[in-house]
This record gives sequence, structure tokens and C-alpha cells, in this order.
Amino acid sequence: MTAEPILIVKDLTIDLLTAHTAVRPVDSISYQLRRGETLAIVGESGSGKTVTCFAPLGLMPVGVKADVSGSVLFEGTELVGANEETLRSLRGKSIGFIFQDPMSALNPARRIGHQIAEVAELHLGITPRAAEARALDLIKMVGMSDPNARLKQYPHELSGGLRQRVMIAISIAAEPKLLVADEPTTALDVTVQAQILRLLKEIQARMDMAMVLITHDMGVVAGAADRVLVMYAGRQAEVGPTEKVLVAPRHPYTMGLIDAIPRRDDAIGSRFRGLSGLPPILGAPIKGCAFTPRCRHSVEGCGAQRPPLRTTADPAVMAACPVLNA
Amino acid sequence: MKAVLEVEHLVTSFPGVGRGKTVRAVNDVSIVLHSGEIVGLVGESGCGKSTLGRSIVGLEKPESGRVIFDGVDLGSLSGNRLRAARRAVQYVFQDPYASLNDRQTVGEAIDEALIIVGVASKAERSARIGQLLDQVGLASAVRDRFTRELSGGQRQRVAIARSLAVEPRVLICDEPVSALDLSIRAQVMNLFLDLRDQLGVACLFIAHDLALVRQAATRVYVMYLGKIVEGGGSDEVYGRPSHPYTQMLLASVPEADPMIERRRKIPLIKGEIPSPTNPPSGCFFRTRCPLAVGECARIEPPTIFLTPTHRIACRFANEIAQKSLTDA
Repeated sequence: MTAEPILIVKDLTIDLLTAHTAVRPVDSISYQLRRGETLAIVGESGSGKTVTCFAPLGLMPVGVKADVSGSVLFEGTELVGANEETLRSLRGKSIGFIFQDPMSALNPARRIGHQIAEVAELHLGITPRAAEARALDLIKMVGMSDPNARLKQYPHELSGGLRQRVMIAISIAAEPKLLVADEPTTALDVTVQAQILRLLKEIQARMDMAMVLITHDMGVVAGAADRVLVMYAGRQAEVGPTEKVLVAPRHPYTMGLIDAIPRRDDAIGSRFRGLSGLPPILGAPIKGCAFTPRCRHSVEGCGAQRPPLRTTADPAVMAACPVLNA
Repeated sequence: MKAVLEVEHLVTSFPGVGRGKTVRAVNDVSIVLHSGEIVGLVGESGCGKSTLGRSIVGLEKPESGRVIFDGVDLGSLSGNRLRAARRAVQYVFQDPYASLNDRQTVGEAIDEALIIVGVASKAERSARIGQLLDQVGLASAVRDRFTRELSGGQRQRVAIARSLAVEPRVLICDEPVSALDLSIRAQVMNLFLDLRDQLGVACLFIAHDLALVRQAATRVYVMYLGKIVEGGGSDEVYGRPSHPYTQMLLASVPEADPMIERRRKIPLIKGEIPSPTNPPSGCFFRTRCPLAVGECARIEPPTIFLTPTHRIACRFANEIAQKSLTDA
């Protein structure tokens, strides 16, 4: 790990405007990432974890206009407000992506060898022949058996785990410095998940790559991430080293999330622990702490003012909680 | 305890496309469900667990074998008697966004089920809707909301209320909480525990989340390539897993505690589940099994009973069980 962060996100706020509605899925997010480091972004559906990572790179669904403010510095280049050309030159080259569902990310009508070679050719500026050789290397690197035969197969001929390996091969074809992995193992079985996570770690170590891992699975966070950022309603609830946040969570939401995970010492047939109430519906920015209606520790005043992210008793951990901050 | 549902030697096949061979998605499966019991059915995607559930309720047509409800073979019934028996076994689907009609209100969705069962008067149905909503933990105010206005957890509760409208004895729940957020899951899981305790409904709980099943189910079956490879009390299967596949599956689940997770030795698992069109000879698991010997390729594994309730389809079950005892 070098001292200089490769990615500096500061006060990132994103408003999404469709024909009918305006919502703020990302509200003042800040974090930094160094080479070789993995940051897990954890949150439930609608917490803004995916938009946080993709909107600044110009990756948004069609028909949605994203109004992005704040700053996202990647290797000194400002991405917020950058033109499409700048973003395009980064996407797939210096910044690689892995999506949750490999089947919808791959072209069903092209052989996987072509799909990998295409990326190598485009971003590395090499000849088609060299790109093919590179594709073969990559297929080997992601641990696929019988690499020569695999190159000629189509995505539908592969299992979910193998498809995700192809996605990883494509994402690292141009040796990116940052890999954004959005729920890379959610669609996979546990046995395959273990293999894919191990592969990602090996590749990351070999290429000294920084990784943003978007997930909702605390088990995945525990094994793969150096630091974790917990999001709730588009805001940072808590951020800190994995071994601190997962073992001794401070924000009531993080506490609830971790408490909700079934444990080995829970009695068979015992009741499940969870959070009461419902996550907020995306809409206009919430006035006070967004977690107040579900919070066991809330006091009068929690709903009045938005709590800032502050250092907790442990200087490595920051949390945004009016009760903790007080 | 009395068996409410018995499945005996069930086989469900799908014809292959073109030159493809027939797929035996459910291959000679026998399981039992007792009243007031939650039974887990776990396995990786493609192992046939959903097809088994669907075959039980008649959404797929089994090729052979029997589904026995309350001591009566469903295959011997027809007409009204079959319909009545089918009604008593309800299915809860994974995706509450797909299983409900967006253009219906919550009340209409449940009312539809009540009309089918033949609750004649409108007043009676209305009273029953209120009762059902209460049973699944929804405020009666949601009755007039459209199902599309509800959250995933609320929608799944409506889907459950709909299944309960026909007063079933058995619920086949196919990944009922996997589409829900972690913070909501516990609420819906506790609802299943309540329904079991209050109504005495038996639940076949199909899921890939092993930790969830361990806590909810008193017994569990593990499925691999269309076959049950291990079955027993949750304490037995989780406490003393004795099929190499069960061991592998349990060892693959990551722990949320980073101290444990980083020290954990992740088992090196060979490959993925083989294609069901062309399963291996002998024991289906042998291609990924660390213990496989030549014999495993030739002969189907015997079923070994470690206890009267704990059964394993592996010739090494006794040795594995012994070893896990000495290791522990």
C-alpha cells in the first residue's frame, strides 16, 4: 500500500431526475481508497450503494438524469463534471467493473474469447492477434479449466460461476488500478462464492489493485474488506476498519444489521433477531437522522437535524449518530 | 407425531431440448413432513429443490412415485377430492413482486382466494380478510392499498395471507425471504414460526441460506443433483454433518466475524455442480468429493442411518461421523 490515495471521494451527492420524480439516493458521501486496499460498501436495497459507485462514471439507466455534485478524484483526475470522453477513457481501462448478474453483462451472441480480446485490444492498443493471446492468458488467470476450448464457448454454455470468472477476466483485461465489484457473488451458490472471492483476492494482490466491493453480505465483508462503509438512506452511517466495525459496531443501524445475522450459538427454533419497521422510501432528503423511526436509542431531537459524520471514541471509526455524537 | 405429507420415491423429469437428454431434476426422493413442523430443504441452485416443491403441489407432473397427503395418495384422487387435497398444500413463491397482481388492492388479492374456496357472503369474506391481515402482521389499513404500493416484506406478507386464506395444512415456501432485505428478513421468518405455533401448519422451507434454515427448521434435508444426500434433525445435520457434500456446503458459508473469517480454512472445492443431463455414474457427488474411491464410480452409495432419524447417502458416513466426533 502506498500512502497516496488512488481515489478520493468528497461530499458526493447525487440527485436522480426522471420525467416524474426527483430523488437523492446519495447524500454527502466521502471516502478514500489506496492501492491494494478493499473498501466494502454495505447497505440494503435502495441505500444508494450502487449509485454511489456508478453515477460519477456516467453509468446510469437510460432515461435518468443524474445531477452529481461534490468531488471524485481518481488518480488526480476530477470525475464529477468530466466530459464523456474522459469518463469513457477510464471505464474498462483504469477502472474495471464486475456486475451482479454476469449473464446480462455479457453479450449472448459472441464467443467469450472475442469478448475478452475486444477489451484488451481496445484498451491496451494491441493487435487482434496479441489480444487473443491475452484473452487466453486471462482465462487461465481466472482459473478456468481447458482454456483453449473455453475461448470458443458462448456465455449460455457456462455455469453462473464460470460466467462470473469471464466477467472478472474482462474487468481485469486492461490491468485496472481500481475494480468496482457490485454484488459479485450474490447470484452465486456459497461453494462458488468462496472460489470467486478467493480469486478476486489473488488477482488484487498480484495487480496491487484497489477494490470497491458493494455487498449486503457481512460474511463477504468480513473475509474480503479492509474497511467498511455502512450506508443508510443514501448517507454514511458508519465507516471504519472491518475488524472494528463488524466486531464492535457503534451506529445503532450497524448494530442492528450485525445482530440480525443468525449465529451458530442461536438455539435451533429460536426467534430471529431483526430491526423493526421499514427502510425509508427514496425521496426528498430526510431532515434529521434517517434511522430515527427504527432506532432503539433515539431521543428527542434525533429527527431535527442531520447528524454529521464524527470520529467516535475509537479514532479509526466514524459514525453519524446524534446520540453517539452528543 | 403424525405425518401430514409424505413423498415416496418421487421422480420428476424434463424432456431434453433437441438432441439433449432427459433431465431427472428430482431423482427418487422420499421425504416426510409432520404437522406443526418446519423442515428445511437446502442445496445449490439446480439441485432440484424447487422442482421437488413444485412437484408436491402439482405445478410439475411427477413421472413416478407418490405424494401422500393425510394418508391418502394424491395419485388415487380426482375431481373435487383432489382439488380439496391440493388446496390444503399451498405454495409461497420467492418473488413477491411477481406473485401478486399490481392492479389489485390487498383486500382484492385476498378476497379472490376466499371466493375460490367458496366463502359465500361478502360480510364473511371481509371479516376473514381482516383476520388474515392480522395473522400476518399487517395493519388493516393496508387493505385498500394497491399491492404495488407495498414494500417487499409487506408484499410477501400479503402473499402469505393469500395462501392462508384457504386454511392450508402445509406450506411449501420456496426461498420466501431471499428477495427481502436483511433487516426485514427476521420479521418474516418470525411470522413463519408464529404460523407454525398458532395454526399448526407444516412448512417445507426451501432455501439456499443455510444459517437461516438451521435456526428455523427442526429437521433438514440436503439435496444434490436431484437426490437427498443427507437428512436428519437440524442438530444432527448441522452439528455432525456426515456427507462430504454437506460438510463442504457448511464450510463454505462465510462468517460475519472478521477474526473467525480470516483464520477460517476455506475448503478447496473442486469444480461446480455437474450438468444434470449427464450425471456421473455411481455416486453423483464423486466428481467433487475429496474421499471418492473407485467403488464410488461403480455403485450407488448405500443409505446409512447414524441414528434412527439421521440418514446419509455415502459409504463413508460412519467414518466421517467418527472423525468429526474426535475433531470436536
